[in-house]
Amino acid sequence: MLLKPLKTALTQGFMRCHDCGCLIKSKTETLCPVCGHPVSARKPHSIQRTVALIISALCLYVPANIFPIMSVTQLGIAETHTIVGGIATLIQSDMIPIALLVLVASILVPLMKLLGLTMLLLCVHYRWQVNARLFTQLYRIIAFVGRWSMLDIFMISILVALVDLGGVAQVIAGSAATAFAGVVVLTMFAAKSFDPRLLWDHQISNE
Amino acid sequence: MYEACPECDLLLNPAAPEPGDKAHCPRCGYLLQRPRKQSIERTLALSLAGLILIVPANLLPMVGIKIFGNSHDGTLWSGVSALLKEDMWAVALLVLFSSVLLPLVNLGLAFLISFHLFIQKANNHLVRWMRWLQHLNEWAMLEVYALGIIVACVKLAGMAELRFGLGLYAFVALLIVNALLTIELDIYLFWQRIGQLTKR
Repeated sequence: MLLKPLKTALTQGFMRCHDCGCLIKSKTETLCPVCGHPVSARKPHSIQRTVALIISALCLYVPANIFPIMSVTQLGIAETHTIVGGIATLIQSDMIPIALLVLVASILVPLMKLLGLTMLLLCVHYRWQVNARLFTQLYRIIAFVGRWSMLDIFMISILVALVDLGGVAQVIAGSAATAFAGVVVLTMFAAKSFDPRLLWDHQISNE
Repeated sequence: MYEACPECDLLLNPAAPEPGDKAHCPRCGYLLQRPRKQSIERTLALSLAGLILIVPANLLPMVGIKIFGNSHDGTLWSGVSALLKEDMWAVALLVLFSSVLLPLVNLGLAFLISFHLFIQKANNHLVRWMRWLQHLNEWAMLEVYALGIIVACVKLAGMAELRFGLGLYAFVALLIVNALLTIELDIYLFWQRIGQLTKR
């Protein structure tokens, strides 16, 4: 399948359309002949956009973990839960598998996404010589796993809808829910705006 | 004519794998092609099935609870309206889009595209639909919602009596149809056919 090793579309004067995937001669055309979309060799302003989105997500990550994500009222007694507190309650009531699931989806995944994307950006910026295949795989995991953080948000929306019996039993969403939703959306956009081809561009020994 | 890997930019000769086989990029391992048998027909059938199933999944009650004699049913929509009532409009909108609107839009787009490819009729919007479908796909989160239902039920099981409605069964069926649709929709083939249709 390989033509000759190390020939990339960019070095051979081609650009790949981001949407439909057809190849275009860089010099002659700027619009894709199939889908009519502007074409560029790499995602435009990939690094700047990703950095901006990650910083915004980090800013929201703090309130998302400090403020209560929901408050539960049972027989007139109100209790507020943060994300960590909710997991602690699950562990106390012996629901370890569910606690692990929530822990992974709402704490580990956002954290891993932020750290992982930061590492990918550092790698591109400082032109580290790394195993680019491994880093591309890391990128794929980050891009795939992002949407599963919405688990907590969906769970809260279901609880809020179902447990709505006034003073007897009521669940109210807290301000951290908005911040957390923001973190999920921003990190999803960040993963989308990062271009993994940048990881390969500066590798000297492309295996 | 060459192709390029979207994730490492390696220039490649187009592979022509058999249906059921996969073509990976030799350098970064990206899944380039994954042809399926009768991709267009199956996409058409599955998207139609999904469009039918999404109606009961949205309208019928999914999970109901009973606490101290008070019972309460919930549909896909009631989460959105409850959040709106508490002035959490940002979260409400996100839930609305990712669990109701975008799954519907995606099914609609998949149906429109596969229908036009099936009857081989060009349409000016075909390219735009396909692009939307590709970009919106990851924002429809039915399977994450399903996991949310499970976690919520486990949390509630201790304090209330749970009841599962017809809407939940429709939702599970929709989930399966949706998963099959993602498998059967061969993006590579679809773009190829769209290119051929619009050139003529």
